[in-house]
Amino acid sequence: MGQTLHTLRTAGTVARLEWQLEWRQGHQLAAVGLFAVASVYVAFQASDQHTGAAAWTAMLWLVHLFSGFTAIGRLFDRERSNVRRYLQWTAAPLGLILGKLFHAVLTTTALTAVVLGAFLLFLGWPQGIETPGKPGLLILGAWLGGLSMTTTLVFVSAVASQVRSGSGALAAVLGLPLLLPQLILSTRLTRGALADEPWTMLLEYPLFLGALGAGTATIACILFPYIWRA
Amino acid sequence: MKGGWNWFWKGGSILLLAYVVIRGFSAPLQPGLVSASPSQLSVAPQSVLLSAVGQPFANPGDLPSAFQVVLRSGDQLIKTEVTEVSPHSVRITLDVPPTMPSRALDAYLFTPAAGTLFLGNACFVESAAKGDVPPAFGATAPSPQEPQLGFSFPYQPNIMESIRNLLWHVPMWFAMFFIMGLGFVASLAQLRTDSVDWDMRAEAAVKTGLVFGLLGLATGSLWARWTWGAWWVSDPQLNGALVTVLLYSGYLILRAAMGDDDRVGRLAAVYNVFAFVMLVVLLMVLPRYTESLHPGKDGNPGFNSYDLDNSLRAVFYPAVIGWGALCYWMYTLRLRMNRCAHHLLSR
Amino acid sequence: MNALLLLNSLEGFFFGSGKAHVVTGVALIILVGIAVSLWRMDRRLGQLEKESRPDQH
Repeated sequence: MGQTLHTLRTAGTVARLEWQLEWRQGHQLAAVGLFAVASVYVAFQASDQHTGAAAWTAMLWLVHLFSGFTAIGRLFDRERSNVRRYLQWTAAPLGLILGKLFHAVLTTTALTAVVLGAFLLFLGWPQGIETPGKPGLLILGAWLGGLSMTTTLVFVSAVASQVRSGSGALAAVLGLPLLLPQLILSTRLTRGALADEPWTMLLEYPLFLGALGAGTATIACILFPYIWRA
Repeated sequence: MKGGWNWFWKGGSILLLAYVVIRGFSAPLQPGLVSASPSQLSVAPQSVLLSAVGQPFANPGDLPSAFQVVLRSGDQLIKTEVTEVSPHSVRITLDVPPTMPSRALDAYLFTPAAGTLFLGNACFVESAAKGDVPPAFGATAPSPQEPQLGFSFPYQPNIMESIRNLLWHVPMWFAMFFIMGLGFVASLAQLRTDSVDWDMRAEAAVKTGLVFGLLGLATGSLWARWTWGAWWVSDPQLNGALVTVLLYSGYLILRAAMGDDDRVGRLAAVYNVFAFVMLVVLLMVLPRYTESLHPGKDGNPGFNSYDLDNSLRAVFYPAVIGWGALCYWMYTLRLRMNRCAHHLLSR
Repeated sequence: MNALLLLNSLEGFFFGSGKAHVVTGVALIILVGIAVSLWRMDRRLGQLEKESRPDQH
């Protein structure tokens, strides 16, 4: 009981700490937002406003993927080293990862809104599509896809942060193959929602994405204490 | 005693694989129909040549009267006359009546020794006749028969001779699963005990498994080129296979990036456990619930679609055991190498 | 249909003309090569183990 309480308290503290860190070091948040919007603008310039649904989907997820990397990839080396050492001594590992996951979920939600918003502002819907067949499913898919990528990225960034040399590059190398299944599911879902495919064909994608996200989050929670104690 | 057992299984794996190579490449393929020419039929008397691949379905001296060809559309059977037989083809004549509407016809070739050969949508009738139901022709077909051939592999349309790849591609993936599973257990043990030896086991398993994973990808790519027409297609099973190989490459990159950091064992174990769970999800769960070209998937757990007959079984099971044992042998060598290196370094 | 006819001629070429024996031979040579190299590695590792840990063997 006391253990559970300690874990929950750690989770709350870490989430609050991350939140404060985010605002105090405002440049990080701004950097991610700038990265996302600038990438969307590059996509807009490169595509010349005549983008078909396939290319539109590809660009949306490329921007989403790399913005996610920028935002979550260094989640575990943001604190100053004395804060880190303090956490290492006092925090319950499970609480720590829960707090980080919570923060990552918030960040991804904001990021999804920024990326989708910028996409609609600059590019609009793909050519030939006045309004997508299932806009709600498209937004849900973008959010769920982002979340299932994020939980994996949290794990990868936790592993990579333990490596002393060049953990940013390592997170990218380890993370990309792990994110392929989520990306495949997400892009299919987005294309299906744009083309207004029937629900019976599309329903499995959000389910798989949710299951993948929850599954990777669970494994990350189980394995994290071993990384943290090392 | 221990030396004898070692000799037995190591030599045995090589002997089994030699048997698999010889038997697998020398057993003939059962005959199968591949084409009808011309495939467009008009409403008139005409002759059609049906050709087959695989071992001959007829001997040079055989009489045409011993063979029968029936064309079928729905429930209707159309009788034909066999006029000429060669080892790999039959020539038939038939008269398509003017009342026959436009239809695709399946062909059945009844042979005395090689059983019944089937070709779906062999020819198409072009006709001006209207109506949904083709007229009854009153033909009856002999009942289908099992082939009375010696040791031979079953014919599958599109797969044909490449069915021999079953003895390479599938056991290689089995071996990879087996050795990666061993690595998974070793990594769990490493997390529990924090011992260097379990870490060395996991590393040896992943390295060996990666070799077999790459071989499985290569043989699979060859097979895809033959049956599906492309070296690579976007398919849940193939995506999963590629991601798996990339994942385990990540394991080696992680180890390399850690250098001689003394936390490498623990971190690599954590990553390996995660990777194996993903492997199970990617290769065994996801493809089964999404549509896939790959046989054995799409809601069908086994690979019964291959019609593993007794001849194929007699080579396939030795192949599984042989590749598995060879894989395990390579794993033990890598492990002993790791142990020697560790022993020399820590002296 | 064209693709199948193409395969048909290749099938005849591969199996009918005895090319399968060449394939068998090459595969066997590779297998023997693997076996010999693995066996030599096995023996060398055995010697190395004996040298480094004489008490256990």
